[in-house]
Amino acid sequence: MSSKPSVARIYSGFARGTDCVISELEVSVTPGIPTFSVIGLCDSSIRESHGRIMSALRSSGFSMPKGHVTISISPAYMKKSGSGFDLAMAVGILFASGQIPYKSDRKTYAEGELSLDGSVKGTPGAALRLNKAGSEGFQYVLIPEDERNSARCTGFEGRCVKDLAEACSVFGLAGYVPERFSLDKGSESGELKTDISMLKGQEKTKRAIILSAAGFHNMLLMGSPGSGKTMAAKILSGILPPLDKGETGEVYALYEALEGPAAKLSSDRPVRCISPDITPGKLLGNAMSMTPGEMALANHGILFADEIMEFPSQVLDLMRKPLEEREVRLFRNGITYTYSADLIFVGAGNPCKCGMFYEPGSRCRCSAGTRKRYLTRLSGPFLERIDIFSEMRSIGKDDLALMYADKGSAESPAVKEKVERCWKIQNSRYGGKIFNSSVNPADLADAMELSKDILSYCSELASKGLFSARGYQKTLRLARTIADYEGRADVTRADVSEAAVFRAHEL
Amino acid sequence: MDYKDGEMRDFYYTAVLMNTQVDYRVIRELFERGDIETHRDLYGLAKMPSSKIKELLLSPQSERKVRDWMESKGKVEAACGEYMQLGRQYGIKVVSSLNRIYPVNFRLQTGMPKVLYCRGRTELLNQCSNQGSVAVVGSRNASGYALYATERFSSEFSSKGITIVSGMALGVDRKAHEAALQGSGNTIAILAGGPDNVYPPENAELYKQIVSKGLVISEMPPGQQPLRQYFPSRNRLIAGLSDCTLVMEAGAYSGTLHTASFAAVQGKEVFVLPNNIYFANAEGGLKLLEDGCCVLYSSDNVIDSVSQAIVRRRLEYPDLMESEESGGKRTVPEASNREKLDIIRLKADKNPDDVSDEEWEALIEDELTVKSLDIDSLCNSLCLPFYRITDLLIRLQMSGRVVLENGKYALTFR
Repeated sequence: MSSKPSVARIYSGFARGTDCVISELEVSVTPGIPTFSVIGLCDSSIRESHGRIMSALRSSGFSMPKGHVTISISPAYMKKSGSGFDLAMAVGILFASGQIPYKSDRKTYAEGELSLDGSVKGTPGAALRLNKAGSEGFQYVLIPEDERNSARCTGFEGRCVKDLAEACSVFGLAGYVPERFSLDKGSESGELKTDISMLKGQEKTKRAIILSAAGFHNMLLMGSPGSGKTMAAKILSGILPPLDKGETGEVYALYEALEGPAAKLSSDRPVRCISPDITPGKLLGNAMSMTPGEMALANHGILFADEIMEFPSQVLDLMRKPLEEREVRLFRNGITYTYSADLIFVGAGNPCKCGMFYEPGSRCRCSAGTRKRYLTRLSGPFLERIDIFSEMRSIGKDDLALMYADKGSAESPAVKEKVERCWKIQNSRYGGKIFNSSVNPADLADAMELSKDILSYCSELASKGLFSARGYQKTLRLARTIADYEGRADVTRADVSEAAVFRAHEL
Repeated sequence: MDYKDGEMRDFYYTAVLMNTQVDYRVIRELFERGDIETHRDLYGLAKMPSSKIKELLLSPQSERKVRDWMESKGKVEAACGEYMQLGRQYGIKVVSSLNRIYPVNFRLQTGMPKVLYCRGRTELLNQCSNQGSVAVVGSRNASGYALYATERFSSEFSSKGITIVSGMALGVDRKAHEAALQGSGNTIAILAGGPDNVYPPENAELYKQIVSKGLVISEMPPGQQPLRQYFPSRNRLIAGLSDCTLVMEAGAYSGTLHTASFAAVQGKEVFVLPNNIYFANAEGGLKLLEDGCCVLYSSDNVIDSVSQAIVRRRLEYPDLMESEESGGKRTVPEASNREKLDIIRLKADKNPDDVSDEEWEALIEDELTVKSLDIDSLCNSLCLPFYRITDLLIRLQMSGRVVLENGKYALTFR
């Protein structure tokens, strides 16, 4: 057994928060009474792999070498977990015991969980791992068939294998034929969305939703119970352009890390709904277990807070920083993990305690004091994150009749197209994926190509008390979005006027 | 200023009624027999020889009264001259039923005076018809509670362009006028004596303010002292001019109850401010409530009642609502604009692109006249795209013609 090395090396990886660490596995087989030990701060899911590996080797026609089997996983100072090391360990054992040929100058990467019959299964976090593994220059890369979607997201080159036998065959006569994975178009776009024409008779809300999509503006909808606030969020997701390839991968990686191979690969933008009983850990993420929160999960999509008035003010204030910075940070053991949270925040709530404030007639039972107290639940700094305010009244009988009279014409696709065009205008103006709501230059007026006249008109409106001083910038941003959406190069006074209407809230 | 011939005849008509035995019954008989066509013809009638009185074919009593008039023609003319002299001195305007500005509410009822003597902004009479009016009446020595409510309601209504009508008495009347003057100044005081006669004298300062910012009217000629017997008739006018009546506080035998019953007889709603049952001065008001008047607890009910009255007037008497003398600085469409508005509306239906911004603004203001609306309702009723309406609304807001309150757009009245 001349080719039998003392130590075989193989690579695998594990996800840690938002990134992945590639680890080197060293396997040594030395003669003696059979033992099996795994070292390198491994948790019990890795140590239990002994049983899986032994059974899988047998099922695939190999055998566990007789002697001491020692596997060291580096970096040895980092805690590791997960059953994704199984395949690498099994292949390493076969290398070390000479059951398959091993060349020490050949870098091999393998991951996947083994089942007792030898088949290979994917494990959560694959998208993150493959992203890293793809750029490390491995000659042989073996991944489970389950992780095909993750591989497609990362634009990765390697080989999907069904079971251990297939994995070993690439080192033999069959040879290694890598496959180039890419996200061509197969990412399915999902279920039917509510059409925007359902908002007939609620022109202000309709426009607010369109502008929110067009400029990625945060929005607050205040309306009576039953005025269709939740529907508004669904409509918004229907007019947003689909995720591009990079974004799809990013979003998938996050969901895959949570749900494993069951996660859906889709170009639909995520919509996350949160309710007032949400805990800070669920909202921002848990640093101990490194699970992303709702804000991170809504990245590139919509975070919809229903009944926003019922949220504890501490929870709302926790959102302030992430909304401003467009990312969530978690701290653990002195390391900062950053999840990006580039999202549209949509809040919906009642305008007063009884909810009837905007209804015609005098159906509201709240006194002025009650109402004021109710509205102060939203703190000033939080409101500063909101670009668009719109009130919603409940739909009357006539509106319902109108709504169902000419139901045939779906308007959402046309709006979506216009929004897409509007995004392109913004991205080419600012460079990169930056929108009117998020651009942060030293000189806003210059970057947005606003004329002197527009600026003075805006300050004139502010001086008349149509919006606050801090609303000034927001108004300009929104006016720019309106002009972009309508395809105008210059912002007009009418655009500023319209933007002012969406700032005209009495909070 | 001097009076025109027609106005002189108005004075003459009043002089006849005030100084001879001729009364409304005689006047009605003269109308029925076709002897006169308008009240101004009385002046011509006076020229006829007394031998012709027989030919008028009046009833014996009326004939006697007319003879009395013919005998005291000199006295009548002297009185007429005196009235006009005082009228010129105080700048008193005469509004008769032949004027377009004569209140529509008076036209719709019988027994209202043909001639009114006014001091102040007569265009308020027009506004009364177009934007509604509310009579606010009550006790002269009202409780703090009633005065508080009076102030709150009056200032709210006047800020919405509704005219506050009252009698310039002490207590509730005074508070109502004051609250209205603080705001838009849309207030009308109806006096029992001549319009130049300040009664009660304690209200001299208030009178001055009403004359400058509001309007004082009376059916009595200038110089006439307010006599006891004139007050019920004055109360009838208060109820008659307004679209509904608010009784803030009334004792068991209060004159306020007259106003309320006149209003009820004229088919107008009476709202009564509920009060403490152990409070003696509230008994009259509580009795009214027992008789089925509306409870005054929210301004919305009153506004609904007023806007219904306006809509009814517009629908049933469109020709009466038209007036050439749309006055004032107000840009809100007055009745004279109705035809113009209809033309614009027609144009907006056919080809909305031809409608200018000013015309749209006029339409928006017209929509907001009766009640405040949210932006969605405006969009729907005008069939105007959202981005157009926002620009128009902001411009209206900038020029101070429209305000946003409670999420709805409302006209300002300042």
